[in-house]
Amino acid sequence: MPGFLSIECLNALSEAALLFFLGVGLTLIFGIMRIVNFAHGALYMLGAFIGYSVARLTGSFWLALLLAPTAVGLLGSLFEFGILRRLYRRDASAFLMVTFGFALVLGELARLIWGSQSLHVSLPSALSGVVFLFSLPFPVYRLFLIASGAAAALFLWQFLERTRFGLVIRATSQNPEMMQALGTDVALVRRAVFAIGCGLAGLGGVLAAPLVTASLGMAVRVIIDAFVIVIIGGMGSFAGSLLGALLIAFVQVFGEYYFPDLALALMYLVMLLVLVLRPGGLLGKEA
Amino acid sequence: MRRSLSRRSVLGASATALAAPFLLRRAFAATPIKIGMPTALTGALGEVGQQQKRGALYFAKVQNAKGGLIGRPVEFLIEDTAGDPATCVRKAQEMVERDKVDLLMGVTLSSEALAIVPKLQEWNAIFVSSDDGDGRLTASSFVANFFRANTSGPMDTRTVALWLRHSPLKKFYGIGMDYAWGHNSINSFEKLVKQAKREFLGSVFSPIGTKDFSSYILKIRESGAQAVFIVMQGEDYIAFLSQAHQYRLPQKTLLLTSIVDLASTRAVGDGAVGLLGSSRYCYAYNNPANKAFVANWQKAMGALPDIFEGEQWQACEILAAGIEKAKSIEPAKLRPALEKVAINGVKGHVAMRACDHQAVQQGFMVKVVKQAGETAPVLDVIAVYPAAEVTPACRQETYTD
Repeated sequence: MPGFLSIECLNALSEAALLFFLGVGLTLIFGIMRIVNFAHGALYMLGAFIGYSVARLTGSFWLALLLAPTAVGLLGSLFEFGILRRLYRRDASAFLMVTFGFALVLGELARLIWGSQSLHVSLPSALSGVVFLFSLPFPVYRLFLIASGAAAALFLWQFLERTRFGLVIRATSQNPEMMQALGTDVALVRRAVFAIGCGLAGLGGVLAAPLVTASLGMAVRVIIDAFVIVIIGGMGSFAGSLLGALLIAFVQVFGEYYFPDLALALMYLVMLLVLVLRPGGLLGKEA
Repeated sequence: MRRSLSRRSVLGASATALAAPFLLRRAFAATPIKIGMPTALTGALGEVGQQQKRGALYFAKVQNAKGGLIGRPVEFLIEDTAGDPATCVRKAQEMVERDKVDLLMGVTLSSEALAIVPKLQEWNAIFVSSDDGDGRLTASSFVANFFRANTSGPMDTRTVALWLRHSPLKKFYGIGMDYAWGHNSINSFEKLVKQAKREFLGSVFSPIGTKDFSSYILKIRESGAQAVFIVMQGEDYIAFLSQAHQYRLPQKTLLLTSIVDLASTRAVGDGAVGLLGSSRYCYAYNNPANKAFVANWQKAMGALPDIFEGEQWQACEILAAGIEKAKSIEPAKLRPALEKVAINGVKGHVAMRACDHQAVQQGFMVKVVKQAGETAPVLDVIAVYPAAEVTPACRQETYTD
């Protein structure tokens, strides 16, 4: 029993780490720009494919972890600069259509470049082993995922709370007009945050690739999860996305074990419950 | 001597000369035979649909280069259903009504096929399946306008069961994708395991699109099974195999699968080595028709043909043989002709049977092995079972022995 519990908790934590990378980017973008980024899943997928190519060309998964999110972040900032920037005066539906269209374009682009087959991303030998917990094997890579998720959460939290740029981001998300009046280049802040959010999605994609391979279906698979996390945690709340990711991961992992027939429904039931009790999300501002 | 050519005859001759190629082309390019394919080109089984598409387009190219079918070129109308049964019905209906299609192929999911078959009579269309596995399609849900050219789910399972008779394994577990084909095949497997007086410890079904299989893998490990029977396709299958390897599941439990294909084994890499299972089509089948097909395919496509490319090819060959026999694509004439089709194709001798429209064919067990000099794992045929043992009795999806 202690073996089972600890393995399942670690399973859930590793899943939560992947979900966190998605959710936190989405929530940061929403917080500062008030837009729902439907392309988030596609950027996650793109991260996995670029990661595959980098790992293949250089032979280094570590380099993939560095370069793929950077590339996805850059692409995000280009998209913001080229298209989204022109739409800020329009209502939310314009963003919905444009980001959804961007997701479709990215999906087809990935199909043209990498083809429709799933691509294998192999792990460096340091991460491909197992450790034994209560005589059950547990992949080292999943421990690495948990550590990266925790490190990213800690780093982002410190960044938002302790640094000057973090302060600017928080202030801009609360009152962009005032920040503009005070001399902050709000457009630049938006672009930077959008790029960071996209980069985090890309990082999540590279990290997920060894578990699910780099595949076209990744985009659709994760986008719903990402929205559920952000809705549960509260749109725009950093801590909320962490809480949402943990909650959904635990519900999915334990749900799949104890109630496999309900595996798909459990996540939505949790979301429903949260929406009824706290319509703004667990840590949302409107609640 | 002056040769006088009248203005009229010159005009007439040149008109004929000008028109000749046009008339010829028209005679040759009679109305094309349009085959509708409402196929899951995207979604969790998108790769399966892409293979069906490649197989069909390659068939059209080869057949049209030979002058088409009954003097008419073959044309595929392919649209994406994303694997959704409702979309599949809508697209198929559009093809039948708008594009006047009489023939349907390339439906990817059994759940989609089960949604389409009740409509076939109303549409007056013939549907030749190239991959739909659910046993019910040729049993309780059988309709006269449906033909299954491919190996069915129960036949895949049966092949594995025939192999098990000579294995020392006693305890089994099952994992399937949570839709028609997954449930149907796991049920067949459970029955066969029990008939063979072995233990079936339980089963679990994962929703289509599952990303994290850690809990399922733990469940399989805890069951104490010696082998787990996997009924999965596409991205879910690949994610499951990758993660099972990371949890070192194969060191404790033999991974048996209802389908061995190239796309999945390549995507999983070394983690797929040792995987053992039934194969609906594999480039390694040892017969002259397959060797020729593989060589031509490689020349044209620059890769080995994969499972659903081969299955699609076989289904097209069966449909083509039916059309040649009937000299028509009119369902009333094509149906009786298809019921008598027999070919020597890529899977050896395959014969359509009239009683339930299942193509009777051999069963193959294939193993994923690592070969010196090859970077990717290769497939090795380890056993072949005769068609009579593999195919269930008419309109049945279970076996009595």
